[in-house]
Amino acid sequence: MDDREDTGGPGGTADMTEGPSSGPPAPAGEPLLRIDDLRVDITSRERTVHALDGISLDLAAGEALGVVGESGCGKTMTALSVLGLLPPGGAVTGGRILFDGRDLAAASAPALQEVRGNTVGMVFQDPLTSLNPTMTIGAQVAEPLLLHREGIGRKEARARAEEMLRLVGMPQPSERMKAYPHQLSGGMRQRVAIAMALVCEPKLLIADEPTTALDVTTQHQILELIDSLRETLGMALILVTHDLGVIANRVDRVAVMYAGKVAEQSDVRGLFARPRHRYTEALFAALPERAAERGTELHTIAGLPPSLTVRPTGCRFAPRCLFATDACREREPELIDDEDAGAGHRFACFHPVPYGDAPEEQVVTPPPATATEPGEVLLELDALVKEFPLTGGPFARRRGTVSAVGGVSLGVRRGETFGLVGESGCGKTTLGRIVAGLEQPTAGSVRFDGRDLAGLSRAERRAHRRRIQLMFQDSTAAMDPRMRVGEILREPLVIQGVGTRADQERLTAGLLDAVGLPRGAVHRYPHEFSGGQRQRLGLARALTLSPDLVVADEPVSALDVSVQAQILNLMRELQHDRGLTYLFISHDLAVIRHLADTVGVMYLGKLVETGPAEQVYAHPLHPYTRGLLDTVNVPDPAVAAAGDREPLHGETPSAAKPPSGCRFRTRCPLAQDVCATTEPPVSTPNGAGHQVACHFPLAVPRLASTV
Amino acid sequence: MTTTTAHLTAPGHEEAAQATPSLARRTLRVFTGNKLALTGVVLLVLLLVFSYLGPLLYDTEQTHTDLSQANLSPGTDGHLLGTTDLGYDMVGRLMVAGQTSLEIGLAAGLLATLFGTVYGAVSGYFGGWVDAAMMRITDAALAIPAMFLLVVVAAIITPSKGVLILIIAAVAWLSPARLVRGEALSLRDREYVQAMRMMGGGGTRAVFKHIVPNAIGTVIVNCTFQIADAILYVSYLAFLGLSIPPPSADWGSMLSAGITYTQNGYWWLIFPPGIAIVLVVAAFNFIGDGLRDAFEVRLRK
Amino acid sequence: MTGFLVKRFLQALVVLFLVSIIVFVLLHMLPGGPARAILGPKGTPQQIEQFNHQQGYDRSLPTQYFMYLKRLLTGDLGDSYKLNSPVFELLKQRLPKTLLLTVLSTALAVVIAIPLGLLQAVRRGKASDYALTGLAFLLYATPVFFLGLIMIILFAQVLPVFPAEAPQGESIGELLKEFSGLVLPVVTMAFGIVAMFSRYMRSAVLDNLTEEYVRTAMAKGQSSRRIMVRHVLRNALIPLATLLGLYLPTLFSGALVVESMFNYPGMGLLFWNAAQGSDFPVLLGVTLVVGIATVLGSLLTDVLYAVLDPRIRSVA
Repeated sequence: MDDREDTGGPGGTADMTEGPSSGPPAPAGEPLLRIDDLRVDITSRERTVHALDGISLDLAAGEALGVVGESGCGKTMTALSVLGLLPPGGAVTGGRILFDGRDLAAASAPALQEVRGNTVGMVFQDPLTSLNPTMTIGAQVAEPLLLHREGIGRKEARARAEEMLRLVGMPQPSERMKAYPHQLSGGMRQRVAIAMALVCEPKLLIADEPTTALDVTTQHQILELIDSLRETLGMALILVTHDLGVIANRVDRVAVMYAGKVAEQSDVRGLFARPRHRYTEALFAALPERAAERGTELHTIAGLPPSLTVRPTGCRFAPRCLFATDACREREPELIDDEDAGAGHRFACFHPVPYGDAPEEQVVTPPPATATEPGEVLLELDALVKEFPLTGGPFARRRGTVSAVGGVSLGVRRGETFGLVGESGCGKTTLGRIVAGLEQPTAGSVRFDGRDLAGLSRAERRAHRRRIQLMFQDSTAAMDPRMRVGEILREPLVIQGVGTRADQERLTAGLLDAVGLPRGAVHRYPHEFSGGQRQRLGLARALTLSPDLVVADEPVSALDVSVQAQILNLMRELQHDRGLTYLFISHDLAVIRHLADTVGVMYLGKLVETGPAEQVYAHPLHPYTRGLLDTVNVPDPAVAAAGDREPLHGETPSAAKPPSGCRFRTRCPLAQDVCATTEPPVSTPNGAGHQVACHFPLAVPRLASTV
Repeated sequence: MTTTTAHLTAPGHEEAAQATPSLARRTLRVFTGNKLALTGVVLLVLLLVFSYLGPLLYDTEQTHTDLSQANLSPGTDGHLLGTTDLGYDMVGRLMVAGQTSLEIGLAAGLLATLFGTVYGAVSGYFGGWVDAAMMRITDAALAIPAMFLLVVVAAIITPSKGVLILIIAAVAWLSPARLVRGEALSLRDREYVQAMRMMGGGGTRAVFKHIVPNAIGTVIVNCTFQIADAILYVSYLAFLGLSIPPPSADWGSMLSAGITYTQNGYWWLIFPPGIAIVLVVAAFNFIGDGLRDAFEVRLRK
Repeated sequence: MTGFLVKRFLQALVVLFLVSIIVFVLLHMLPGGPARAILGPKGTPQQIEQFNHQQGYDRSLPTQYFMYLKRLLTGDLGDSYKLNSPVFELLKQRLPKTLLLTVLSTALAVVIAIPLGLLQAVRRGKASDYALTGLAFLLYATPVFFLGLIMIILFAQVLPVFPAEAPQGESIGELLKEFSGLVLPVVTMAFGIVAMFSRYMRSAVLDNLTEEYVRTAMAKGQSSRRIMVRHVLRNALIPLATLLGLYLPTLFSGALVVESMFNYPGMGLLFWNAAQGSDFPVLLGVTLVVGIATVLGSLLTDVLYAVLDPRIRSVA
């Protein structure tokens, strides 16, 4: 289709003759959008990927459909193909996309342009890169009107654009009209993108991972916004996401995709309550939220999704499925109606989950008891401060400082996992980098194993490096692309001068065994591995020097749920075997809850609350912790409907100008005058070990403690 | 996503787990898939064969002048492309001059790249005030256009091959210096360099194990462009009156000698050396461009 | 933006200072030193000694440099001993003409290069892209004087449509009156740089085409032509400002060659003639002024860039 829809496109060829003509107009009662046996190939220099292999979906007017799946399953391709926005090399090779009775897959370029931005609006993942950096947002929001509404003047278009910006919750819209994208926060940019998609009041909004690049609180606000606009404008929605929590709370129906196919389709409650496809079941079981309790092993899905360069025979999930039989490997299951749950629920599985069973119970094996008694304090931070200068360059005057870490004290005991949680910009990463020795603190001290790191001599510090290692979020960036894995893993040993080359190679081989990678990996380059495998390599490298403490900075946030579960289990297992201590940094409350013994919550450079994980989650003392827990999208429609949640409002202030007194006061529902004048003292109303820095700690435990 | 042609590879949605061909082979494949780059290689080989093997097959007198044979038009007395104003056979002269042009170009290009790379790497790796000072020096040196500087130098110095190489390298090192500096500046902040620091590694290891190997593509590509530019400089220097005195010759000096005869219609004195310069410079540029594409693909994954 | 401008301005000052040092060093590299350079080949040893004492050339180098700098700041660039005129006065006449040539040919080059680069980007990997890329490289590989020679042979000798010599008018107005005489020098110089600009345009457009905002623009229902003009071209053109600044030295180098080929009465020809006659005060004066012009020119283009790009305009 690429060729067809790109007629006259910036690089496209003028080829309008191909493809069938548009179908007849839709009879009444037809769905707004019907995707019928859609096939999409993506051809690159090296191979052809059958990205979509017979997708069928229906969407009624005003309905919200969630498309969920792991990366590479084809969910984004489905969304992009509706408007003919497939990436270069992408082409529709079969099937129809009937929108309002018109086949968009076969439509000419002008016909598609007529639909895009007019009757179908689209919002993309990254609000910064998807806006034109050199155009004012006013001009960008007004653009679709000038294109699609004949006879509308510039002035009126601008007025409507401003109205739209107000509708999406942009403060001072008339002033913001003249702003450029880089002057706005991420959340505000996504609001602009939504305003742009909706300014022509489309019948359908396609949102492709619209909140993935955003923080929990912003994510919540954007989803709320889409919800309310959908109601106001009466439009249908396709919400594409990898996040089961987002899907659970925001749509009417869900399609679960796997390897270019729809595996299961159902109304949202039915799916979460009674998944039938074995893949859906396994996916749910891999969620840290669903792990029966803290400390249990997560259910993982072995292996990786198939490569779509060749069409697999049989069920695509069969190689990873615990229930697969020969029939699964020979024939491909059709999407059939669920006889038990009714026609709304369809799945493509020969051995579905028996109707009525709760999913976790049969697949999750009880874990070995890993609980180890925490030992003495290994790492102690005392009033740690880190400020970054805010300058325009070496000649420019210093224009102030960014307070990244504003006086944090905490202790991590040997053998435990300390989970540090907070939104982006809260200082958790900076804190981790200070502990790992990549940054020097502005003030305060880091004591490790009883010694102040600042007091170490050069030689001692070099030796000390061995004892604390950092595991990066993105192992791709953290590994030299020109080095083979063997060299990468040996590098720490070479630097520290440990052992002979043979010793080093033996150690490396052992580490590869430990993280579950073949020993032959040493001859390959990092880019030849998948994301999860690279994270295993990252962990292996962090462990090469047998450290006491591993600082893990968002080690699983770039991974799919099933792979995330593998890495989390591996980390837990290695902790048990090697007596490791983890400082685990993450924005993901569920992951932290699953893994951490002790939790610290950071907000704008301050540690607002810290304590044993169960206690902090069950009875948060700080209004921020509470708000954060209430904001998170729980992958369970029942919880979302419970309605006792009080999500966070507003945006995090700039760390260059943190609020006086309590830094959270600007967003706190309980804030009083004292909060602006006095920095809150640390207290322990919930018993020793559970500390909070708040003038008015919460007294009541949380009811819905699902996260 | 965009509407460029199918040449761009589809982003992201591939499984990296499966075996991929080795980096070197992929690079080679992209390079050989580039028709212009292959044209460049063929051209260069032909010019090298012509300049170095040619004299073995086509022996001519290139030391002593013979004014009785001056300015013969092509075809006369077995002179394929005629003779010069001093009676040298043009074809033989092109061969000898080609050796000079290629040697000066290669030597000056390599020298400029070597010095520029070290200068840029030091400036970029140390950063801060060292970098600011070193970069202002290159700014100042760049501010005076090369051609003006060369004319002043020409007015002062009598050239030899070595002097030409030094002079050209002296104006040409600036561009690799700035390029490598930029590369070093971004590479030193990469996470893998941070990871290495955390293991206790120092600056030397960072520069030689991580920064230089990762900047090598840029350096190699730029080096081919530098050689091309150096050959151009040789011709400009000749035009500006700075060339090795006869009986030595390079293509540039042949061309500028031919310009004197524009009015006489002695086209064979002008076009053969002119075209030779264009071909050799273009060949290096084609190769450089192909290498740039190839290296980019290699880094894209 | 002010922070960026102040920083950029201070940088330019430092560079200007270094440029003056380079010229000062060149002055001392001259055979016979500055005295010989300024008195000319006819100066006797006594005159030289007297001159050296008078001008302070027997003092320490730093002192000499400061005296040199002081003279520069008062506009004293010495006197040409060939043309019997202060170098400053000569430059005042010649510099505008060189700027005219440079501006005309740059404008022509940009006008040719933008559609060319755009076309190549749109037809990337197709035969026309290869052909144009090959042509651009051939053009780049052609020495400007060879290009000029071909122009003269083709359009002044074979087809005598344009004169091979540039107009010799005193003022810019007079130069423009004899426009046909300007054609060959301007076209030659423009062809010399059109290759660089079209290569830049091609890659800038290709880079912008892979940006996600292009997909957003498509999702709004814009035609490809409109996306090209309103979004891609605009964003690709903004950095062209800095590119122009970066290429200023190349432009001046080209002007030197073109002026001496076509006998165009600009600064380059003045310089060229001075080189033939070892007129060192003129040589060094021109070198210095060209250096200053380059520094100020690139300062100007950077300011222009900052004004054009909202990201720099508001943040820096």
